[in-house]
Amino acid sequence: MSSAHETRAPAAPSVGLAPRLLEAAGGGAVDVARDIRDILRMFARTLRLTFRGRLERRMVLEQMHQIGNRSVFFITVTMGFIGMILVFQSALQALKIVPDLTLLGATFAEILFRDLAASIGAMMLATRVGAGIAAEIGSMVVTEQVDALRMCAADPVEYLVVPRFVASVVMTFCLLIWAAFVAFVAGMITANVIFDVNYHTFANFMLVDAGDIIVGLTKCLAYGAAIPVVSAQRGLSTFGGSEGVGWATTSAVVSSSLAVIVLQFFISALGYLIFPG
Amino acid sequence: MSESASSEVPLLLRIPRQMGAAGIVIGEQVGGLAILLGQILARLFPPRVDRYELVRNLHKMGVRSLSIVVVTALFVGAIMVIQAAPLVTRFNAREIVGWGAGFATLREVGPLLIALMFSGRVGANNTAELGTMTVTSQIDALRALAIDPISYLVLPRVLSMVVMLFALTVIGDGVAIGGAMVAAEVLLDVDPRSFLNSLVVLLDEWDLMTGLIKSLVFGFMIALTSCHFGLSVKGGAPGVGRSVNAAVVAAASGIFILDYFSTYVLG
Repeated sequence: MSSAHETRAPAAPSVGLAPRLLEAAGGGAVDVARDIRDILRMFARTLRLTFRGRLERRMVLEQMHQIGNRSVFFITVTMGFIGMILVFQSALQALKIVPDLTLLGATFAEILFRDLAASIGAMMLATRVGAGIAAEIGSMVVTEQVDALRMCAADPVEYLVVPRFVASVVMTFCLLIWAAFVAFVAGMITANVIFDVNYHTFANFMLVDAGDIIVGLTKCLAYGAAIPVVSAQRGLSTFGGSEGVGWATTSAVVSSSLAVIVLQFFISALGYLIFPG
Repeated sequence: MSESASSEVPLLLRIPRQMGAAGIVIGEQVGGLAILLGQILARLFPPRVDRYELVRNLHKMGVRSLSIVVVTALFVGAIMVIQAAPLVTRFNAREIVGWGAGFATLREVGPLLIALMFSGRVGANNTAELGTMTVTSQIDALRALAIDPISYLVLPRVLSMVVMLFALTVIGDGVAIGGAMVAAEVLLDVDPRSFLNSLVVLLDEWDLMTGLIKSLVFGFMIALTSCHFGLSVKGGAPGVGRSVNAAVVAAASGIFILDYFSTYVLG
């Protein structure tokens, strides 16, 4: 590996711009493909161990508290503001075409339940929960506690990742439903105070159908599963001391946010094709 | 220790106690942010900033975040069209989908999501870097050499983050519009030309400006929180981890709160 690098290094100045650009792009693509493969492999292993292995009930409860209860305040504040912003912005947009806001609440409820509550809430959880998981597992890796686990014949995926996975799937699901509720109430209050929309007119779920709810809940489940797996994979591949933990944390936040956005894209597109309207 | 303390205090008193403790913690952080803001502003007029550090940070924070911003923006643009699709088909208003997606992306969602990604990548990394320097006493070493840590370390980072988030949002807006155009063509059969047409005719420069002004505000918020939490790390390497987490959470909450107020003021 190192010899290949040495032979390439002196040749670099003579190589033209196009091959070098191609090399950089190819290297990036290979890195991304390797990351995706590692994450999918980790996901498959976590899923198998969740159903086959034994579940440490105390660990799961502890992680549920860590991931769920301690994020409630954060989620409430951010989703409250998001609800206010969305209603304010869409009311401004709507007033440009029709001077009538009776359908504001119905449209808001549809888009909130179908997509925005789950996706924006999950972005928030990706930063909080993802950073926490990666920092914790990463510092266990650099202090060789994970190697110690392996020495005791305990599988780090089973012992560390599975409890976080189960806790996150359950708690993310609950938190995102709470997030939708908070955002809707904050939006309702904004519409009433600033645009004089009656609470009864706003709380209109006429446009929300089964398809919206199914798509929204699918997203909640998918994000809850993706965030811990991506962050744990980042945490377990930490190397190089406390600075490495910082890098792993950053990379976990970025990758889990990206995972949320990519999943949002695919689930939304599939949802539109299956339940148009 | 905490268990023995909580068993002494009756339940009714424990809740106000916790609320008060949380209030003190929040007040402490907000006060720290305000002091850091004052110190930064004092060194900005006239500017005293280390030029080499500035260029290095501009490259590290801006150029190396480009790929992730482009990917995020591409998906965000496409998602906005997918979300608008049921509404658009219901009202049979295919020709204004460009306006709908463009309005939301340029004014709100583009700057917001790009800022969140930037906070995750650059802000968290900055906190980790400054935090490691703090716990290894490198900041004190700078002071001992009579080098002002604010103008040597903090000011270049703050300036780079504000400038680079602005520049990345400009690029991201363009890419997001491209992503939206492709999604509209594939999903709704909207011709790219009519997409662009509705965008140009129905949007004005103020819609674009609102988003860009927001990106300046967000950049400043991310810079301030990440530097503050980095400089106030206590308790060794685990403290750095805790601080990074707190910085990311504070930056995200700050972004949302400022977003609301800037939407209100600029709306």
